[in-house]
Amino acid sequence: MEPQFSLPQRQSAIGVLIMFFNTLQKMLRGLGPLFLVFVVKYDSEFKQYGYAAIAVVLFLTVLIAYLKYRNFTFYLDDENREFIIQEGIFNKTKTIIQLDKIQQVNINQSLLQRLINVYEVNVDTAGSDAKEGEIKAVDHKLALALKARLLEVKSQQKDFLGTTVADEDILVDESSMESESQLFLKISFRSLFKVGITSNYVKTFTLILAFFTTIYENGKHIFSEQDLDKQNKNLDHFFTRSSDIAALVFIVIVLILVVNLVRVIFKYFDYQIKKQHDNLLLSFGLLSTKSTIIKPERVQIVTITRNYFQKKMNILELKIKQASSGVKQEKKALIEIPGCNEVEKEAVLKMLFDKAPEKGLMLKPNYRKLVFSLFLFIFLPCTAFWSFAYYVDPEVFDYKYVMVIYSLFLLLILVFGFRNNRLYVSDDFIIKQSGAWDVDNSIIEPLKIQAITTSQLFWHKKANIGSVTIHTAGGDLSFQLGDYAKIKDYVNLWLYKIEISNSNWM
Amino acid sequence: MENFTNEVIDIAALPKYETVSLTHLDPKYTTVVGITILITFLIFGSGLGAVLYFNPELLVFSTQLLIGFAVFFAVFVTLSFISLRKKAYAFREHDVIYQHGIIATNTIVIPYNRVQHVALHEGFVARIFGLARIDIFTAGGSSSDIAIPGIALEQAEDIKQLLMGKIQKKL
Repeated sequence: MEPQFSLPQRQSAIGVLIMFFNTLQKMLRGLGPLFLVFVVKYDSEFKQYGYAAIAVVLFLTVLIAYLKYRNFTFYLDDENREFIIQEGIFNKTKTIIQLDKIQQVNINQSLLQRLINVYEVNVDTAGSDAKEGEIKAVDHKLALALKARLLEVKSQQKDFLGTTVADEDILVDESSMESESQLFLKISFRSLFKVGITSNYVKTFTLILAFFTTIYENGKHIFSEQDLDKQNKNLDHFFTRSSDIAALVFIVIVLILVVNLVRVIFKYFDYQIKKQHDNLLLSFGLLSTKSTIIKPERVQIVTITRNYFQKKMNILELKIKQASSGVKQEKKALIEIPGCNEVEKEAVLKMLFDKAPEKGLMLKPNYRKLVFSLFLFIFLPCTAFWSFAYYVDPEVFDYKYVMVIYSLFLLLILVFGFRNNRLYVSDDFIIKQSGAWDVDNSIIEPLKIQAITTSQLFWHKKANIGSVTIHTAGGDLSFQLGDYAKIKDYVNLWLYKIEISNSNWM
Repeated sequence: MENFTNEVIDIAALPKYETVSLTHLDPKYTTVVGITILITFLIFGSGLGAVLYFNPELLVFSTQLLIGFAVFFAVFVTLSFISLRKKAYAFREHDVIYQHGIIATNTIVIPYNRVQHVALHEGFVARIFGLARIDIFTAGGSSSDIAIPGIALEQAEDIKQLLMGKIQKKL
């Protein structure tokens, strides 16, 4: 029997498990630091409360998951041509998706969903006010039937309208009906592993730092003052031994690598790109599968990021910014493709730009850019440090080695950053290269430019250097302190290209 | 396709945005800014006066406060007027140029076929002097939107009409 959708129905009963794990994940994220404190401070008197708390949290999670499952219903309103999803425990949400606005219906399966053999159905809609429908757990037969029904109404409508309306959206859907999308690129576990151990060191370090600070802050309320004093003394004692510091550094590095690896694998597991008509469909994620569409005409800035290790391992990361129409969409507008190799990168770029972007004539920044950043980030802090130590508190001098390490570190970053800072201009592409360790190459097409700002400080007039900022619908790109005469020539050329072209920018 | 040519572009022969002679803001706008600053500082000053009145113990610092207030006022007025004199604009055949900035001279160029939307704004004081502000929006977000103040109202209306015409034609 064909499944019917005209009456509100729930997801598969086993879907409660998905709800449970999702809720548990959220709970753990919120209560994680507290939980850790419990583990660390494991003594008998505290134990009972701890177990009681865990029991309460688990009970709440089960209850919330069950209510979420109970209150989640979906149905098709044939009369009004609408697909309706109702959800929420206290705040009820009713999402109404008009069938003729549906662009895409994706059926995905994350690892968890695979384990209990259910599928999730994602409904993507057209338009900037993207409202999306997401059903977390239905069985395969139902998922397929639902997809067919959602798109079938669409094709009927097309027949009904006949050939008079040649709407682009309908064409896209037609293709999705007839030919199933083909696999374009798949990122292997090995590539993800490489990405995990080579990227985002600083970001992960700050995450870990933030995590421990939260634990420390939470811990302060629980540990007694005495304990804390003892701890501090231990810490002081610890830092006086250099071998311990080396051990600490080692532990931190290992921790960063492990956390990074786990994060990357959770986020990007089973990364697949499918090609459908002219668009790229992306889906990835271990626990919950995310899926997005890249439409080449909406792509504004493509950034290729690669550091030294990644170059040796032949991987790179692509970041694609699409035109956004509001802060809400900003998150959705940035798409990351981790761990492609050179060949895959070429394929994606060819798909997005029709041809491989070539680096054209090169612009270098003036040496003053380096001098100014050295002044700002090394000279000023050092002066501040020395004057503070000299006039206010001589004890601070004990930490001067911190200042030396800081200065050397920044010197390296600034010099490399300066050496990598370039602007390449060719007929069809503008490429900005920047970054000290992670080297970014941001590519835009001149026709995607919305506006151009040139800027010159009055004391740079004589040196004839200045800056240019290129505004696009996906963000700005700026290049500072280059040859101003050349920049102005390029600006005139880009303006000419934009103004003689009749094509819309999107 | 018969009219299609593909000549090499002579970059040196392209129209140069940097040599366009720009129009400065309407002289009456200086008065508008002056009045606005005066009103703002009167409100700010009376607030300060009220604080002093209700906390007599602060009166010891009255000279310092007065000097501070005067210096702040002077700096603010000077910067405002320099910034006013730096602002200039030009409407070319295919784009709008707007220049501003005190320390750095920023020049932003927006081609008409990238303009999303144009608005006319008449401030309270500016309206008395028959002036208006033109707001030009692109899809590039706030960093690439411009607002040109101090344009005579009829002229501003004309510019808005012109821009609207260009936008319509694009579609």
